[in-house]
Amino acid sequence: MAEPSKKEENKVVDEGIDVGISRLTEEKIQSVINSVIDSETGARLKAYVETCIHCGLCSEACHYYLSHDNDPHYSPVGKVKQTIWEMVRKKGRVSPEFIRRAAIIAHTECNLCKRCAQYCPFGIDIAYLISVVRRIIHKLGVTPLYLQDTAHSHSVTMNQMWVKGDEWPDTLQWQEEEAQAEIPNLRIPLEKEGADVMYSVIAPEPKFQAQLIYQAAVIMHVAGVNWTMPASVGWDNSDMAMFSGDNELMGRLKRTHFETAARLKVKKIVMGECGHAFRSVYDMGNRWLGWSMPPFTIVHAIEFYHDLIKEGRIKIAKKYKPPITLHDPCNVVRGGGLHEKARYVAHAICEKVIEMHPNREHNYCCCAGGGVINTGPPFKMTRIKGNRVKAEQLFGAKTKGAEVLVAPCHNCHSGLHDIVHHYEIGLDIKFFGDIIYEVMEKPE
Amino acid sequence: MKTVTLIALSLSIAIVLAFTAAWSQDDMTVVDNAAFNNPQRTPSVFVHDEHNETAGIDDCAECHHVYEGGKRVEDESSEGQSCSECHDLQGSGNQPSLIKAFHANCKGCHQEQGKGPIMCGECHIK
Amino acid sequence: MHSFYNFVSGPLAWVAFILFFGGSIYRIVSMLKLVAEKERFIFSYMSWRYSLRSIIHWIIPFATVNWRRQPVLTVVTFAFHLCLLATPIFLLSHVVLWDEAFSISWWTLPDAVADIMTIIVILGAVYFLVRRVTQPEVKFVTSVSDFVILAIVAAPFITGFLAYHQWLSYPLVMCLHVLAGDIMLAAIPFTRLSHMLFSPFTRAYMGSEFGKVRHARDW
Repeated sequence: MAEPSKKEENKVVDEGIDVGISRLTEEKIQSVINSVIDSETGARLKAYVETCIHCGLCSEACHYYLSHDNDPHYSPVGKVKQTIWEMVRKKGRVSPEFIRRAAIIAHTECNLCKRCAQYCPFGIDIAYLISVVRRIIHKLGVTPLYLQDTAHSHSVTMNQMWVKGDEWPDTLQWQEEEAQAEIPNLRIPLEKEGADVMYSVIAPEPKFQAQLIYQAAVIMHVAGVNWTMPASVGWDNSDMAMFSGDNELMGRLKRTHFETAARLKVKKIVMGECGHAFRSVYDMGNRWLGWSMPPFTIVHAIEFYHDLIKEGRIKIAKKYKPPITLHDPCNVVRGGGLHEKARYVAHAICEKVIEMHPNREHNYCCCAGGGVINTGPPFKMTRIKGNRVKAEQLFGAKTKGAEVLVAPCHNCHSGLHDIVHHYEIGLDIKFFGDIIYEVMEKPE
Repeated sequence: MKTVTLIALSLSIAIVLAFTAAWSQDDMTVVDNAAFNNPQRTPSVFVHDEHNETAGIDDCAECHHVYEGGKRVEDESSEGQSCSECHDLQGSGNQPSLIKAFHANCKGCHQEQGKGPIMCGECHIK
Repeated sequence: MHSFYNFVSGPLAWVAFILFFGGSIYRIVSMLKLVAEKERFIFSYMSWRYSLRSIIHWIIPFATVNWRRQPVLTVVTFAFHLCLLATPIFLLSHVVLWDEAFSISWWTLPDAVADIMTIIVILGAVYFLVRRVTQPEVKFVTSVSDFVILAIVAAPFITGFLAYHQWLSYPLVMCLHVLAGDIMLAAIPFTRLSHMLFSPFTRAYMGSEFGKVRHARDW
């Protein structure tokens, strides 16, 4: 009985996928798959495919699998079987319909959160395997429309949200003026060569969450940080190309970002509360450019706040009252080990922190990351239904008294908003920055 | 009471007979494994006279050999001795351990001749 | 039957061992060469400390979250793999054969213990078989090759068990036992039994990435 409903879900219309598929021929599919496998993969793909003993132990790592009542189609290895295994086994001779299904699986049923890597006894990097599928999907031109649109925006504007050249400094000026109503001598220093810190954000901040820049400016000002922001391209640290399999574009984006920091002669890059951008700057984009580790010290907001609070550069006037629960974003926790620092910050600024379970490296994904939320409205329900287990986890924290959910990552924030709303959990969602801004000591 | 005595008597006779059988080559059916502490396998089946008749072995020294300085001494045999007098359990230098000596003596010859048992369970019958 | 026995325990065993050792070295060397050619960066992320940290956690029962989540499987898989490796290496009959052939010998298991270990391997194989056909998430990713490799592994132990107890036709069972052992050895480098060779590497790489770059636990 599960079959029909599954097929129904597959009928989601995505113009990027459907139009892309209509242009495919079996020859093209075969040549693209084989060219990616032959020229872009090596020992990892080979060892992962040949070492996997088909034990299924990765299954319970995946929130999609758990949320779909243990439907094996959604287990990590199940998704690998339905995609890259077949491509390798058939030497690329798969049908356009197979590619359609592969595109949906790789782009909307996996967040590349790497939780499964912690559950595979052999340490097989399943997220990497799905990334290879996405790369093939990209080269076949079958990427979901909304995700491809953000990649186009990156390509044209070097930011994710089609923010135009003049809109960026305008937004910063606007936020500076707003903040000056509160702190008259506050500045958002643009293009300040030799500053200690270049603060970079993702494009949704200037586009529709400008208050986050305001809050960051206040924190920087109060803490007395010698900081700057670039006035032109290079300010956006986000990277949907990394998730759409457009590695070349990812390289362009990260090069621009690093070169901007180099141009400004800053000591380090501090980035806002975003997870995927951290992954791009700290782990993926630098590697594409040939840096084993990033050419700049990369400081995620969690670590930045941690240091400011620990060094006493910002002081907490009155701790945040409502009990909070903390969501550990995959890219900065499983990908950056910031879980204890996040807890330090949480306990420093809030009166009560209630742990959700599982937590830290083993936290469940938000189901928005990995580019999944960027596939847009056609797949909104895929990620909400695919993360019932998150709702259960959050509900557990709520029953223990949590009223506010802190999610120090933009994707998590938006994804969790949908989860909380759909499953009617009733938690306010905040960034650390929101709370710090609220509880910190500010000049009168 | 009579029955008990009878049983005890026949048991003692049986035991004595069994021992004589084991020690007399004429009725030997298995290789003596008394030298092994806690042997892991049943003693190897070996019906001495029948074996030698079938194999056409007249010279005792064929199996009951004597080695001196690593060389086999012709015209001397050791049938009065027990194998473990020379071959201890560990073996040393050129002197094979008792297990290895047994295996070499029996299985080695069987392999050479292309006759006789060579697999573990063919001799160590459960 | 003896000539067949001599064949499987002589020339064929040589072939099997050469394929096993040669094949294993070939597979590992060619995999490392492939890394050097196409993914050289992997070397620069490898760390002894984090590799060992990861491997040690995963080779200790219940030392990882997933082992703790699957208590029955954990007990079975550790018992299975331990007995699978130890029994043939420390079996008295095998060591006796090594001693006869090459005059090398080492410590051996009492036969009664080896017998129990063999039963553990066979029961473990049965458990994996049942798991494969009954657990949906395992069944979904099962292919014919999974049954074949399970059979390849179970066969030397089933025949070895029968041969030790001398049940059924002993000479035939014995010959099949040696043949099954030859097949298993030769199959290790060239089937997914090669997880024996590659899993330490995949584990070490993941451990290194998690330890060195991600500063997170991978267990």
